[in-house]
Amino acid sequence: MDLSAFLYDAVHFIVLLGIIGSAFLVVKFKDLVSATIALAACSLLVSLEFFILQAPDVAIAEAAVGAGLTTAILIFAIKGTRRREEY
Amino acid sequence: MSFEHLDIILIGVAILGVGILVSLLRLFLGPTSPDRVVALDTINTLVVGMMIGLGAYYEEVVFIDIGIVYAILSFVTTLFIARFISTRKEKEVGP
Repeated sequence: MDLSAFLYDAVHFIVLLGIIGSAFLVVKFKDLVSATIALAACSLLVSLEFFILQAPDVAIAEAAVGAGLTTAILIFAIKGTRRREEY
Repeated sequence: MSFEHLDIILIGVAILGVGILVSLLRLFLGPTSPDRVVALDTINTLVVGMMIGLGAYYEEVVFIDIGIVYAILSFVTTLFIARFISTRKEKEVGP
């Protein structure tokens, strides 16, 4: 296998692993602020995945919505309610 | 084994990706929310570095602009979460 292709696949695999791990954390956390932080990390890595798949316009839309808007709106919503999720 | 210069760029990007995985471990373990915010900010910086590196790998100028836009937006996100944590004093334990 070519070294360049191997490295490219390795980067791709690392990003996909990070997406799965952070999505698992979103479900696992009971502290809502921690879950929001994990969601921000997940959308960040999804944006990087679009970037690797060479779709720069989709990546820029995902960056604007996922990182900027969603986290701010969720933080405002948590400010109005309780912080911890009940079991 | 001979290295092209594009291979060297990819090696750097892969090392940044390993850094992302280690920061995700801190995001998983971190006992308090400020630890997780710092881990998220580290991941943001590493992802911007990966975007710049991949932009150099693909040899496209447009990809650098996405890194710039992402750097600005991730700063705003971190600022929001940090302001929320600093204004609300609350006891918290574990995940």
